[in-house]
Amino acid sequence: MKKEEYLSALEKRLSGLPEKEKKERLRFFGEMIDDRIEDGCSEEDAVQELGSVEELAEQIIGEISLPAIAGHRMREKRALSGWEIALLIVGAPLWLPLLVAAVAVALSLYVVLWALLLSLWAVVLSITILFVAAVGSGIALAVRGDVPAGLALLGAGLFCAGLSILLFLASLGATKGVLKLTKKMIFGIKKSLLKKEERA
Amino acid sequence: MDAQLKRGLLDVCVLVAIKSEESYGYKIIKDLKPCVVLSESTLYTILKRLEGARMLTVRTAEHGGRLRKYYRITDAGRRRIEEFKEEWRQVMTIYQFVCKEDEEG
Repeated sequence: MKKEEYLSALEKRLSGLPEKEKKERLRFFGEMIDDRIEDGCSEEDAVQELGSVEELAEQIIGEISLPAIAGHRMREKRALSGWEIALLIVGAPLWLPLLVAAVAVALSLYVVLWALLLSLWAVVLSITILFVAAVGSGIALAVRGDVPAGLALLGAGLFCAGLSILLFLASLGATKGVLKLTKKMIFGIKKSLLKKEERA
Repeated sequence: MDAQLKRGLLDVCVLVAIKSEESYGYKIIKDLKPCVVLSESTLYTILKRLEGARMLTVRTAEHGGRLRKYYRITDAGRRRIEEFKEEWRQVMTIYQFVCKEDEEG
């Protein structure tokens, strides 16, 4: 791929970025290609060393913060023409509740996810407490002379210990999964914000 | 490696790459290659951050019929390198303590 081809493909991918920032980045990568060529690379090799356009664009989107992208999108919105604004206002009774509902549903699903995690951790905690209590009172009973009951409680306590360890690992995995999902979601939102603008 | 830690390390690496004389993007990447492989977009982010923190200044100059950006370290940037050395002297002391424990244990 030639330099111009590569840069224009990258520009398309970054079309949602603020104009100034996009230009600056394109110039930076253009300079990188030119310097590689000057260093003895062929144009194709120089371009190839930067990685694929998709990879580079994903990396760039990953590095820019969500507020920066969203803020830029908001500012763009102010550039709507008069009749578009009028249409938006007239349609508000229809799209506003729908939008609010959609956002609320998405948000509540996410909150539910965390609530589930929280209850999972609560279960782990209570089983751990159960383990301590059962072992403690089991030993106390055995010492006082009621050996069979004491042993039974001790056994139950150890069972709780095993259960709490398993559940602890499961909770840890689930929490990590949700955190990963959050990262992916933020990336997805960034990408979709940028894409919408591409169509406009 | 922890992302925050890595970011701090890379910042100082880039500052060192422009410490003795001003440099440009491709040269910085090449100079750092023996120590750390930096992607172009990572370097861009680092340079932006350092410029924002006034640890370097940027000028655009003509080179071979095109424009090239040159980065020059500031006093604040030099101070950052010295701070880093002091911080890591302490870290190394801790590191040696940890390793000694290992040998004895």
